[in-house]
Amino acid sequence: MTGSPIPGSSSILEDLESEGASLRDALLLLMGREEAEGVEAEVEALALRVLRYQARANPVYGTLLRNRGLDAGSLEHWTRFPPVPARAFRDASPYIGGEGGKGGDGEGGKPPEAFFHTSGTTGTPGVHRVRDLSLYHASLLPPARRHLGLREREPVAGQESGATRVLALLPPPDALPTSSLAHMAGVLVHRFDDGGGGFLLSADWDLEVVRVAEALERARADGVPVLLLATAFALVHWLERSQAQGASAIRLPPGSRIMETGGYKGRSREVERPVLYHALSGALGVPPERIVNEYGMTEMLSQFYEPVLEEGGPADPSLRRHVGPPWVRTRVLDPVTLAPVPPGEPGLLCHLDLANLYSAALLLTEDRGVSVPGPAMDHTPGFRVLGRGSGAVPRGCSLSLEAWMRASP
Amino acid sequence: MTEVPLPVPLPGGLDPCVLPPGMVDHQATVGGLLDHLTGTGAEVLRALGFRTRLQILARAGSRFLDPADPLRREALDRLPVDADLSEPGARELLDGMARDWTLDRLATALRADFPDPDVLDGFRPGVRGDRLRVLPPRLLVQVGAGNVPGTGATALLRGLLVGAPTLLKPGAGDRVLPGLLARALHDESEALAQGLAVVGWRGGEGGDLEQAALRRADRVVVYGGEEAVAAVRALTGPLTPVVVYGPRVSAGLVLADATGSDGVVADAAAAVSAYEQRGCVSPHLLWVQAGGGRSPEAWAEALASALADGARGVPAVASPVHAMRALRDAAEFRAAAGSGDRVWGGPADGWMVLFEDEATGADPRPFEPSCLGRTVRVRPLPDPGTLASVLAPMRHVIQSVALEGAEPGRTTTALILARAGVTRVTTFRDQPWPPAWWKHDGQGPLAALVQWVTLEPADRAGPQ
Repeated sequence: MTGSPIPGSSSILEDLESEGASLRDALLLLMGREEAEGVEAEVEALALRVLRYQARANPVYGTLLRNRGLDAGSLEHWTRFPPVPARAFRDASPYIGGEGGKGGDGEGGKPPEAFFHTSGTTGTPGVHRVRDLSLYHASLLPPARRHLGLREREPVAGQESGATRVLALLPPPDALPTSSLAHMAGVLVHRFDDGGGGFLLSADWDLEVVRVAEALERARADGVPVLLLATAFALVHWLERSQAQGASAIRLPPGSRIMETGGYKGRSREVERPVLYHALSGALGVPPERIVNEYGMTEMLSQFYEPVLEEGGPADPSLRRHVGPPWVRTRVLDPVTLAPVPPGEPGLLCHLDLANLYSAALLLTEDRGVSVPGPAMDHTPGFRVLGRGSGAVPRGCSLSLEAWMRASP
Repeated sequence: MTEVPLPVPLPGGLDPCVLPPGMVDHQATVGGLLDHLTGTGAEVLRALGFRTRLQILARAGSRFLDPADPLRREALDRLPVDADLSEPGARELLDGMARDWTLDRLATALRADFPDPDVLDGFRPGVRGDRLRVLPPRLLVQVGAGNVPGTGATALLRGLLVGAPTLLKPGAGDRVLPGLLARALHDESEALAQGLAVVGWRGGEGGDLEQAALRRADRVVVYGGEEAVAAVRALTGPLTPVVVYGPRVSAGLVLADATGSDGVVADAAAAVSAYEQRGCVSPHLLWVQAGGGRSPEAWAEALASALADGARGVPAVASPVHAMRALRDAAEFRAAAGSGDRVWGGPADGWMVLFEDEATGADPRPFEPSCLGRTVRVRPLPDPGTLASVLAPMRHVIQSVALEGAEPGRTTTALILARAGVTRVTTFRDQPWPPAWWKHDGQGPLAALVQWVTLEPADRAGPQ
């Protein structure tokens, strides 16, 4: 998105920058807060402010509203704002760069601190230009602590100290500077690893079974609980390679857990989650209820997790739900009308993520999902991803959009 | 293997299981059925000769065009449910498909692939003293796709026309017409019906029959996507010829001199709408040349209007609303960014036109498919000469292009398209309904089923 500066005096731009900075500070405070009281109302108020800010600071979003006959200042609730389609990150990547409004492409404004690319397995890859990594880091740490059972290396006063060995079945972030997953893993290793962990794949994704086995064995011998971070595909690949090489199972120290993410993204073979979890349990001695799926999108800076560590399960992935942090709201919308569907009905997932302050906070995904209440009153409600909203079926001799995307270079 | 029972027909009458006369489905075994087809079935089809077979097939096929025939009425009753079509959509589909099941058109198809059709029944003179004939496979197994109802019935007719004992597994969504056609063939000729079986099963439940049939087949025809084709190939003998009608996409191109025609716009809307755009012949993307009676953008708007009119007569069914939403919103966002994109219709309408403007002087955008469900992209095409590069990455999947325009531009452009991999250049009017004699994906569909035999002269003087 490289829209022209909003016509007007530089004071308007200064006002916008000032509003952005004020929102950023408010969000950092919110993300760092421990107590839940009052958060709900604060998020609601901030959401409205963030979207009004984006309508003014992002000329394309402003035009989108005007084209729909909407006036951001008159909309009284954030749910009244139109969501930005996730696909927009492919051809007009939303970015609020500040002065000049040129979107961080070297023509004024604040340049992005990171460029995260989508995987590109569903067509032209998109890019999320991240203006402020501190917001990203602030948004990823609290949910990671909560859902991956992490504690800072340095014991915090009044908190139980729990060393963790963070092992990432990923290439190191400096080898993958455009991967948000590698970046996130880098933050988690830097912040929570006891000093013995790190990245287990080479820069070109090469997986050495011996290297992984040595790292796991070291953690076992040290008696330090492990957090293994990996994509589902890498886990399947590792299990197959280990099996082929006759590697024996290992029992990781109690308290170990696995975070799997990312699905298969059009890879040639997929393994059902219960099968994968069973195999991982057998290979590593980590029970299925300690295997957490993380659902994230490059287009949004916050992540969703299955709260299985916190709630003690369930082991069966089909009974689980994903929950987001307090500054994220998820709605399930009718794909035709974009009105919310009745609870329990499937629809398109639409996320509000206030961490996307400088890109697009209200995102319409192409994922189908269903809302799922928490198992108890005090549990956070969440949603379950049902898959991608696909084109017409059956396909037969007509090439499907999905097959086309897979086959395209 | 011979003791393995056939898959039992599924309840509801939607899954056909039409066996040769005398075979009772609950007693028939896989081995028994295949023995019957390759024995009695092959003998009877050979004895009938191609002329009689043609007459029988055409009599059965024509019944689907007769408004008074109960078979047609049953087809029209059942198609909307089985194939997810509206009632008018089902009628349009049946008319379009069955028009090729008549004597005149089946005979034309035969002549198109065999200019001397008597080669089907005996040796006929070739060149320089050679004599030629064709032999059908001893067992032809055809695995249908479900995206366009009627293709299974056409496949059955093709096999029997060349005298091949045929086992057809229709695709899900195409179970009604093959079953009804097989029943009609039983009514017309018990003899010919000895050479055909239509057996449906749900995916993964046809194991023994599927494996045994594909292993014994002399020739296999498979319609479908990559996975279906790979699964069939994996079960077929390594040296058995497999005719693949794999995944394809189609497009349209309106030259400047045709952009003013309302008829072309109406035909394009009909081509996009026919059987909910599910066919390999259904257009995904339409290029419109500037400089004619309508600008590309105005042409797109006219198309939108025609699609809206069409949807009033033949309502859309089972629209891919999620994918339409994603394409629509992304286009709207690009428009807000100043791209020149426009959108008409959307998931609520059951049709959608995406006008995708090109930046001046930019390279033409690569081909992108639609999500179907009457969703079509319209793009300006300043110079048809650039199509070669646009289509280059997809030369193995592009199939039909509806090309509208006057000569000599039409022929010149057709040659560009042909060199880019297009195997059928047609009009929007005919695009959804390729004639019985078309070169399906570039080859004669009847010739693809048979084997030629050459009898060289015994003349001791040697070759001339």
